[in-house]
Amino acid sequence: MSRAPNDDLPTYKLVVVGDGGVGKSAITIQFFQKLFVTDYDPTIEDSYIQHAEVDGQWCILDVLDTAGQEEFSAMREQYMRKGDGFLLVYSVTDKQSYENIINFHTQILRVKDRDVYPMLLVANKVDLVHLRKVTEEMGRDLAQKLGIPYIETSAKDPPLNVDAAFQEVVRIIRNQPPAELEKSRRKKKKGLLGKCAII
Amino acid sequence: MNLDVDNLQPIWKLWGEERIDGAIYTVYLKKVRYHRPTQSVQSEDNGERISHLEWETVRVRLLKAGTLERLVEALATDEGELESTYVNIFLATYRTFASPHEVLTLLLDRYDQLANNELDLPPQVAEQHRKTLCGALHVWLESYPEDWSQPPLHPMLRQLLLFTQQHLPNSELHIKVQHRLQSLQSHSKSCDVYSLYNGSSLCLHTTSTQPPYMFPDIPHLHFAEQLTKIDMELFKKVVVHQCLGGVWSRREKKRAEEAATVLATVTQFNAVSLRVISTVLLHTSSPRSAIIAAWIDIAQELRVLKNFSSLKAIISGLQSNPVYRLHKTWSLLPKDKVELFEELARIFSEENNQWAQRELLMREGTARFAVTVGQNDKHLQKIIQRQLNNSGTISYGTIPYLGTFLTDLTMIDAAIPDNLPNGYINFDKRRKEFEVLAQIKLLQGAANAYTIIEDPSFERWFDSVLTLDDKEAYQLSCQIEPPPANTPVNLKIRYNHLERVFNYIIRIPRVFNKLQWLKQVILTNRPPPLIQEGSIKWNHHYGHRKNDSVASTSSSSSSQFYCDIDHASTSIDTKDSVSQTSSSSNGSIDTTPMSPSLNVSQGPTDFYIIKVTYQTDNVETDGIVLYKSIMLSNNERTPQVIRNAMMKLGLEGNPEAYTIAQILPNKGKVTEMVLPPTANVYYAVNTDFNLNFILRPKDQPSPSGHKKSKPLCT
Repeated sequence: MSRAPNDDLPTYKLVVVGDGGVGKSAITIQFFQKLFVTDYDPTIEDSYIQHAEVDGQWCILDVLDTAGQEEFSAMREQYMRKGDGFLLVYSVTDKQSYENIINFHTQILRVKDRDVYPMLLVANKVDLVHLRKVTEEMGRDLAQKLGIPYIETSAKDPPLNVDAAFQEVVRIIRNQPPAELEKSRRKKKKGLLGKCAII
Repeated sequence: MNLDVDNLQPIWKLWGEERIDGAIYTVYLKKVRYHRPTQSVQSEDNGERISHLEWETVRVRLLKAGTLERLVEALATDEGELESTYVNIFLATYRTFASPHEVLTLLLDRYDQLANNELDLPPQVAEQHRKTLCGALHVWLESYPEDWSQPPLHPMLRQLLLFTQQHLPNSELHIKVQHRLQSLQSHSKSCDVYSLYNGSSLCLHTTSTQPPYMFPDIPHLHFAEQLTKIDMELFKKVVVHQCLGGVWSRREKKRAEEAATVLATVTQFNAVSLRVISTVLLHTSSPRSAIIAAWIDIAQELRVLKNFSSLKAIISGLQSNPVYRLHKTWSLLPKDKVELFEELARIFSEENNQWAQRELLMREGTARFAVTVGQNDKHLQKIIQRQLNNSGTISYGTIPYLGTFLTDLTMIDAAIPDNLPNGYINFDKRRKEFEVLAQIKLLQGAANAYTIIEDPSFERWFDSVLTLDDKEAYQLSCQIEPPPANTPVNLKIRYNHLERVFNYIIRIPRVFNKLQWLKQVILTNRPPPLIQEGSIKWNHHYGHRKNDSVASTSSSSSSQFYCDIDHASTSIDTKDSVSQTSSSSNGSIDTTPMSPSLNVSQGPTDFYIIKVTYQTDNVETDGIVLYKSIMLSNNERTPQVIRNAMMKLGLEGNPEAYTIAQILPNKGKVTEMVLPPTANVYYAVNTDFNLNFILRPKDQPSPSGHKKSKPLCT
């Protein structure tokens, strides 16, 4: 446990959701590995934890990306429960993935038992201009309908907006009305027995 | 941290890279012993100083990247020896950069070149190279039989056969290829590797009189073992290279074919979770908390059996929103049980990149029995301890939760490019992937340690359990425990009652086992409940119409969602729901005494599920009657019911040309109650008896022995 030097920094658990094949893993990897390196090891403890400075304030980002497990539909809600903020990712080359966003959105609100929750709509693979099937306008329309912000990303080199997307989610979490923040904090601590579950 | 790494691998040292035409090697300097130390204990004690005397340094080249030709050549060393580690990695991963046919052709071409002495090698070395090529082909044939099975013509095997006929007649390889081709041709009719999951469970159970298990009064260990049996069979059949990120995580490819064995394990995982959810939500004759407790007990046994797949499936089911949110139900569980559940759930904590689970697999993967337990897991400590007391007789395998590996492989695939900028195939990536694949293979081997006898009645039970989709489960859950009032989310789950009726739908998991679930529902009078437990009441006067709900059209077949969108497709949704309501079934109606009715609840939102048989002259064979189940809601009159029944039975024509009657067994005699055309069927049916109906054309008389009773007036 030689990780966080500053234990008092706030930790945000960010969850990346979206259909299989939309490039979630590429976004996550891009965020954690600034350069693609061959000695990357996905199995080590702190693969997906990183200190980040957002608007001059440091925090710890703990990212959960279950890319590859999309078909295990029964466990989706289990990891949604843990998230403080969500990146809802679709690929602009895959209309179906865009249409499924609303399902993830609904499911998150249901699991959280809330009518709003920190989320960001992420339109990925915008570098593939000639294959694009979901326009920016469609993306923005959906974002507006869901009441969440919108961002376009590409994990291809040079990456576009990948860091910005994660930072934006942090901002959304921070900008929640204080009451909501408090609510989610309280909820988190309550286990099934109504007490803090200590590991 | 660095010190640790240095101590672990002091003998490898990166030296640099070496480039030849078409390939790049990473060169390491490796310390090896140049003679057997006579006093090994001492030499270890004395460390560095003495080790200088006993170790020498050699140069080791590992292929980092290259062209496909170079990659194939590298199956042998320069001296022509088989590079067995490399061969294993290559064969496990090559499908991501080449087709089996390409690789075979390159291998055979190379053999030709060696045979014709085109490579300028000393004769003995060329001979050694040729032997090694044959060795590699042997390994390939043995380890990856699925590559060679290309029905109906098996072109690769034929290509190889032609080659061995020419170059290696009567060799071991030649005979092996001949045998393989023959056996594949004779088997081609009977089996299909891709249907292993569905195929195994397609059986008719209509003749069985054994009662299915009655959840939650079931033997927990037995259930855990049977789940493990199923998981074990599926896990052993996983073709590991189908887990590779390049195969599994790319949705545009036809996964059902290319990753069928992986998909089969995922399907089973989901099937278990869905049964956890539906049994908790649907059972009403036992307290709901008892159902949850039973699943926790099964989960505990799965932990001891080291079956992390079904264990996680159960935990996921219990943590799914529709179950997890039932705070009142959970509060009725004994405190111990909840603590045990939390201990079990901790195994799958996402904390620190699934550290707990990885650690556990590392420790127990190939161990004979479970030994690991967290410091704070007081319940698991006891359980593991109890098991250790008679551990002498135990030998369990391990079934991992495959999803963690799939994510790791997906991440590797995303993180490491397939090719170097110059176009060479990046073989280092494949080495990395192979580390994961090798773990899976190791566990597959360990899974053989299980010795569990299959219990067909368990499988029957499993197939018989109804499952709910995401939307249905959530709606039911909200009725069992309504969400706190006035949160805007709640508005979305308020429906007009008609929609609700249509949404309480039972979905039947597999085609052939619907009889069991019907029996179970009917026998135990455990209906798909609207309102059963506690003081839950549905308010009929919600002013809000729910936005229409539409099941996801996600292209991934197992994803189950529910979403709220505009009103546009109301009618479609309703229609879909109706068709989900009912089911076709093979089975005998009359063999089992059934309790009277499927009365679901009170009030205007009620419905029954009725079974309708179509009577023609040639229906009954051996007491097996084909029937369809349809939903009967409280406002349906006879013509509508006939129409619904006709639709399900696939009959066309004018509904007015048919009559429908309830079958009423009466002291050994069977009578019928024909429903008058204007009846509100819901109120007309006789719920003292089974809700079995017969549909027949008006001009057809009822069979002798069936006496018509007086039509009921409404």
